[in-house]
Parts: sequence; C-alpha cells; structure tokens
Amino acid sequence: MKRSELLSRILIVAGVLIVLAAPFAARTIGAQGVVEIHGRMAESGGWTPSTIRAQAGVPLHLRLTSDDVMHSFAIGQSDTPAVDVLPGQMTEVTLTFDKPGTYTYYCTRWCGPNHWRMRGTIEVTGDDFASPQPGTPPLYMMLNLDIDATHPASVTPIGFPDAQRGATFSTLLPVNYMSLDYYRSHSPAQVVQELRADPALASLSNSDLWDLVAYIWQTNTTPEGLAEGQRLYAQNCAACHGETGRGNGVFSADIHALAGKYPANFSDPATMLGAGPALLQGKILRGGMGTGMPSWGPIFTDQQTWDLVSYLYTFQFREMKK
Amino acid sequence: MSKKQWFFVILVVLTGAVIVFAPLPVRAAPPTQRTFRVEAGQFAYAPAVLEVNPGDTVTIELVSTDVVHGLYLDGYGVSVTADPGQTAHLTFTADRSGSFRFRCNVTCGALHPFMIGKLQVGPNLWLWRAIALTVLAGLAILILHPSLPKAQAS
Amino acid sequence: MRSELTGFPLVKTLLKNRWPQLLVWFVMLAGFLFAILSGFFGTPVGNRNFGIVFVWIAWWAVLILVAVPFFGRGWCAICPIPLPGEWLQRGAIMDPPGKKPRWFNLRWPNRLRNIWLQNLTFTLVALFSIIILTTPKVTAIVLAAMLFLAIGMSIVFERRTFCRYICPVGGFIGLYAQAAPMELRVKDKQVCLACKDKPCYNGSEAGYGCPWDVFPGGLTKNTYCGLCMECLRTCPYDNIAINTRPFSADLAKPSTRMDEAFKAFIMLGAAMIYAGVFLGPWGGLKLAAYSFGSLAWFGYTAAFLVFIFGLLPALFLGAVGIGKALTKATITLKKSFTAFATALVPLGLMFWVAFSLSFVLTNAAYILSSLSDPFGWGWNLFGTTAMPWQPYLTTLLLPLQTLALVVGLLWTARTAQKAGTEVNLSPIPVIVFSTAATIAMLGLLL
Repeated sequence: MKRSELLSRILIVAGVLIVLAAPFAARTIGAQGVVEIHGRMAESGGWTPSTIRAQAGVPLHLRLTSDDVMHSFAIGQSDTPAVDVLPGQMTEVTLTFDKPGTYTYYCTRWCGPNHWRMRGTIEVTGDDFASPQPGTPPLYMMLNLDIDATHPASVTPIGFPDAQRGATFSTLLPVNYMSLDYYRSHSPAQVVQELRADPALASLSNSDLWDLVAYIWQTNTTPEGLAEGQRLYAQNCAACHGETGRGNGVFSADIHALAGKYPANFSDPATMLGAGPALLQGKILRGGMGTGMPSWGPIFTDQQTWDLVSYLYTFQFREMKK
Repeated sequence: MSKKQWFFVILVVLTGAVIVFAPLPVRAAPPTQRTFRVEAGQFAYAPAVLEVNPGDTVTIELVSTDVVHGLYLDGYGVSVTADPGQTAHLTFTADRSGSFRFRCNVTCGALHPFMIGKLQVGPNLWLWRAIALTVLAGLAILILHPSLPKAQAS
Repeated sequence: MRSELTGFPLVKTLLKNRWPQLLVWFVMLAGFLFAILSGFFGTPVGNRNFGIVFVWIAWWAVLILVAVPFFGRGWCAICPIPLPGEWLQRGAIMDPPGKKPRWFNLRWPNRLRNIWLQNLTFTLVALFSIIILTTPKVTAIVLAAMLFLAIGMSIVFERRTFCRYICPVGGFIGLYAQAAPMELRVKDKQVCLACKDKPCYNGSEAGYGCPWDVFPGGLTKNTYCGLCMECLRTCPYDNIAINTRPFSADLAKPSTRMDEAFKAFIMLGAAMIYAGVFLGPWGGLKLAAYSFGSLAWFGYTAAFLVFIFGLLPALFLGAVGIGKALTKATITLKKSFTAFATALVPLGLMFWVAFSLSFVLTNAAYILSSLSDPFGWGWNLFGTTAMPWQPYLTTLLLPLQTLALVVGLLWTARTAQKAGTEVNLSPIPVIVFSTAATIAMLGLLL
C-alpha cells in the first residue's frame, strides 16, 4: 500500500466517523441536567415525556420543541407566562416550584380538536411534609347542583337585559340580592322570579327586573375580571364555542361528529339564563358530560374560573358603559 | 447574419420591450373597501384565490380551522397569524398590481411550505405580457430562420 | 469557439492529481452522511431539518441552476454516492488497479444498457416527491437506499453501474448535459486509432478504466461521461481535454434513442406537475399527492402517469406527424419522433430552472437556520438558528422565470429547426407544441 493510500484511508474513515459521532457526543453532553420535552398534537402522542419529576426549591431546566405544529407550554394555576413551543426549534425554560405537589402543564395554542388533552404532570417532591389542606369543595357541589342535567330557563326576557338601565332601579333593590353568594348560587331565571315575587319591586315591569338581574351580575364583577374572562374565553373556549358564543366554533363540527351535539350556545337565553354561575363553574371545572368539554380544574385558578363565568354572561347581558 | 436579419432581430427586441414595458390602459375601478373571510386549514386556504382591484383597501379575516396558521403575502411583505378560535385581521392597501402568492408562515405540519394561495390585484398583466413575449419568440424564430424544408422528391 | 481548459497547467494539475478530488469527495461524503443522519435522528419538522433543507433546497438549487446548465455532469464528478462502493470494488482509494478484479465484476446485461431503468427510478421519485421532500425520515431512507444500492451494485458489477443505469438524478443530468458549455473530449482521434491498449477504457498502472463504461475516444456527446477524470490520468498520450464550448453543442445532432426521448417527456411533464402541485393554490391536489394509499392518491397517480407517458408524448407525436405530412417525408415516424424529442431538452431544462427559482428563493432562508441547528436540537453553530423565515427576491422572481421560459422556447425552437433540417421535416408543429407548453407553464407559475 502506498503512503497516499494509507493517508487517504485514514482521512476518509476517521473523518467520516468524527462527522457522524460528533453530533451525538454534543447532544449527550448538552443533555446533562436538562429535561427535553417534545410536543405533538394529542392525536400523535401529546407531550413526551408526560410526567416529570422535580424537587421543591430546585430549578428544573426544560428544553421544549414541537415535532409538528405550533404549541405552547404553560403551568396550570400559575402565573408563569406561557412560552411558545416551536416546530423544529428549542425553547428553554427554567421553573422552580416552592411547594411539593402535582402540577399540570398544558398547551395554550390550539393544535387540533384534541388540543386540550395535551397535558402532562410535574410531580414535585420535597421536605415540606405538611399534609395538604383539605380543599373546600366547589360551590356546585355544596349546592348539590347536577351539572349534567339540562337547565332550561323558566322565564326569558324579551330584549337584551341592560345593566345600565338596571342601575337606575338599583335604589329599589334590597341589599341581600347584591351579595356575591347570592349572585353565584342563583341562575338569572331564578333571580328574576325571586325579584318578581318581592313586593318591594312590584312597581317594576318584567323588563325592568331583567335589567336589574343584569345589574346584579355587573356589580359582582370588575372590568379587569371581565377583561381576563374575555382573554381566557378567546384563548380556550372560542375554538369550540365560537367567537360569538353561538356554539359554532371551528371545531364545532368535529364535536358534533363525536358527541352528537354541538358545543353549548351561550347566546341562547333559553338555556343560558337557566344556568347560574355555580353551575357554569362546575361545568368548566369538571368538563366531561360526554361532549368532549375539557376539565379546566387543574388549569384555571379559582378567580380565573369566576372571571370566565362572568364573561359568559356578556352573551346575555349588556354591560354598563365605562 | 445579413443586414435584413439584423434589422429583423432589432425589430423583435423592440417589440419585446414594448410588450414588457408599455403601460397598458387598465379599466380603473374606483378603489373600495373589501373584506375576505379566509379559512386556513391543513394545508390550504379557502378561498385560495382572492381578486381585488388596484387601490382597494383589503382586509383579510384569517380563520384557522385546525392549528395555528399564518398568512404572508409575497411582494407586500405583510403577514398575520391566527390561532383557532381567534380570527386575525390583516388590512393593507393593494397598491401593487399583479399576481401575488400568499403562504403560511407558521410551521403547521408536513406540507406547510406548500400551503399557498393567490392574490390577484387587477388583471394578471404580467402573465399576458409573458404570453405575448412567448408567442413573439416562437414567431421570431420561425420568421428569422424559415424552416419549412423543401418537400422530398419522391 | 472551443477553448481547452486543461490547456492551463494549473487546471490540468488540479484535475489529474487525485488529492484535490479526494478532498472535495470527502466533504461531499461527510455532508451526505450527515444529511442521512439528520433525516433519521433529527427533528421530524422538514423545514428545520438539515437533511431536507440541504438536499432539496440547497443542493437542488446548485444542481439545477448552476451545475447542470453550466457544467453538464459536473455534479456527477463530485457526487459521493458511488464512492464507498467504488473503493470497496477497487480495494483502494488511491492505489492503482491490481492484476485481477476483487469481486464479481459482472458485465451489465445488454438488454438494460439504456436509461429506461433511470426513467423508472426518476418517475418513482417524482411521484412520491411530495412525501419525500416533506418527511426527513423518508428522505433519509431514499438517500440511504441509493447508497446501499450503489455499494451492492459495485460489488456485483464492474464499473459504476448504479450511476450509469439506475441513479434517478443521473438520468436527467446526462440528458441536460448535452446543453452545457463544457465537455470532455479527445484532442485527436487519430491518436486513439493508433493506440493499442486503450488504457482509458481498460485501465493501467496510472488509473482505472472508465467507470462510466464509456470509450473516451468515441465521445461525441456529454450524456454519459461523468467527468471522473480517470481517463485524464490513464491516457499515455495526453490526448484527453476538457473544453469550454458554445451552449447546446451536442443538440445539433438529433438523437435516435427512444429512452432519451421519454426521459425528455418525463422531465417536461414532471416540471409542469410540480408547478401545479407545489406552487399552485390547489390544496386538494396537494393532499391527493400526499395521502398515499387513498382513493385520491390513486387518482393523482393515474393522472400523473397518463400526463407524462400518455398525453404529452401523444400530443408531441401528433405534432411530429403533422410536420411529416407537411413535408411528405419518407423517414419513419419513430425516427422523426426521437429526432425532434432532442428539441425538448432545452425546454425541459428551462422549465426546471423556472420552477426551481420559485421553490428555492421562497425557501432559501431555511438554509441558514438549518446550518446552525441541523438536527433541530437547539444548537446555534453560526448564530442563525432563530432567523425568521422570509422569501427572497420576490420582485425579481416573475421576470426571471419569464426570461428563463422565453429563452428556453427560443433555444428549443432553434434546436427543433436544426433537427428538422437534419431529418428533412417541418419543425413548425413541434415549435407550436413547445410554445403551447411554455404558455401553460407560465400560467402555472405566474
């Protein structure tokens, strides 16, 4: 073998081996101390891995990428901002959990009709052995409301109840109707019936009473709360329930094919006004109902759920002008 | 080539230049406001071909029907992104005439680079010019080099 | 107007010495294997994967816009696919041939000594291209399959049978190389006549016999010479030269081969179909092409094959037939068909140039980002990973495409006229056919 032959063989073999091995060596080194999460549409597997372990107080380094379409990553009931998870690109996120427990991570950008199923859990262990506080059951449970039952409104208004008009009658309204507890535990139809039965309001027409119902709703929410509710609705609900709340969102046909029904129509007074805030909260928290309605319990905080419920009534009531 | 042939070539080139550069009288419709609801789904736009007049103020309401899609308009360089459930709006003035492709600029799956639509601003003048140029080229060669061989003697 | 490039001493040295060639081959081979690796192990997102981006955008752009139009089979000169097999076949990378061949060294069967197999492999690749181009793993499988096939064939057969008879790319590179302004030819045929051993074909201590199974002394066209430079090394009389020459020199003499004629139709038809499927606004068509096994896909496949093997050749045959009738020629229809099919070479080449300009300029931005993060693993080697996508030179695109297509038509018409003169037939119907096809392509692209 001539010297040139030997040299050329070394060049080719060694060169090719280095070129092929180098990426994997770099990857192994770069993977130290980082958890790499791949996101796919739920139909293709969702998050991989879907369970991560972490320790309380110890930073968890995550590297996120999508293997198909645009996704994003957020932690349920947390104010850590969501990060986009880009196809073929890596996003780095470091999270530190103060308290042990089970945290849910989820996708916040719609990636198909099963987008909401794209969830995983982070099990955070720690020394904080304080046994978890028994949480208070949600209001619908305490009121024994059946969230799977139909909720037709026994009475419906003729026009669009107007909180601004209702404000003009507010001096006549007994104070007990204004409390947060009362608002949350009664459906608008129930409220208007109780108002009708109240002698203090006998002078008001049915339409006036509906305006008062709208006013009660308005006083139990804030502009910030409604804005948050609107944001949550646009991001999480509009894809199925429609941007105008009519149950005609882009996935409504898929839902109908799956469940035989369309997503709820929030602009229909016959059903919407028979549902009180507690009932709506229950449906949002638990989901199910055989319709593909997601359970948002692990995702929304308590306040976020109430804000969203308040926002849903904007499809029925006219807000006061700012 | 003979003088005659050179003269002919120059004539062809000048005709070609006229075809390419001559401003054509376009029936100028008064510019209006136009809105299009465009649904974006893997991997096409519906409608995929939009026609407007030059000068129109165009609003595209982009409705994503499955995953996050974008719409980037060639030639104008404007774009918008829509998540399902959140209609996005893109407004611009169609001040450039011609045929412009728009494409998805948010990776949305395997055929993403081929998710394409077309915006037609006014008549597709460039296509007509190109076709005229093509016919001119074909004719020019035929005239410059007469190529009908003499019939074979049997 | 020929000028001998190898007349420059530096050029001759660089080409004859095996080291410059080996270094280029090493880079190509490493890149090729890296592309296969990234296809298998990198992100499944096509536009962020080195394999997809560097094969179908970067390499394709260089191939169809530069290498083929200007250097003919220039890509074949540096292609890495035959190398591992050839080194195994020879038992050496640099050393001269031994006394006996090491492996089976079978001769390629006579019946397959044509480009029909290449027509088949290219048609298959074209049919499945929308799947191949968008799925990294599939690209990797196709590339790996070509590599292993080339190795296997080098062990069983003599010379580079994969390159000459199977490679889907080589089929059209050879056809279009006829149009290029560069060639490898002998300087003086008399020298070859007097030469006894023909080491250019049979090998010697200086190097191997032509791997492309070509006798350099008989080369009149670029179609089958792969520019591997072995004959430059083995010719004892320094009788081999690389020349520049006018474009289209090989097309002056019309072809007589049906396999080459059909290659021209396959390329012409595929360019038009690609323009519609890849660049058009018809989502249903793209999905039909993509959803392998579905009813729509079978419909697409049928239409694809009928267009390329049926409609286009039939229309062309009609045009040729009319030309024959116009001049009452006695030449057979088959001979006139193959003669005029030569004219489709520049047309097809410019169709591909026009199509590729759009394809490449739209997606070129991905070249920079995938260079920095070839596997989509979060690297940033050159700082360009997060470069946002945008198309390049969109205002220039339509004029460039129009120019390419009009030049293609002029070139084709001229070639048809030359063919017509040679076979004494009217080329007018063929020119009309070419004009109609060009207008159709303009409509698809613009």
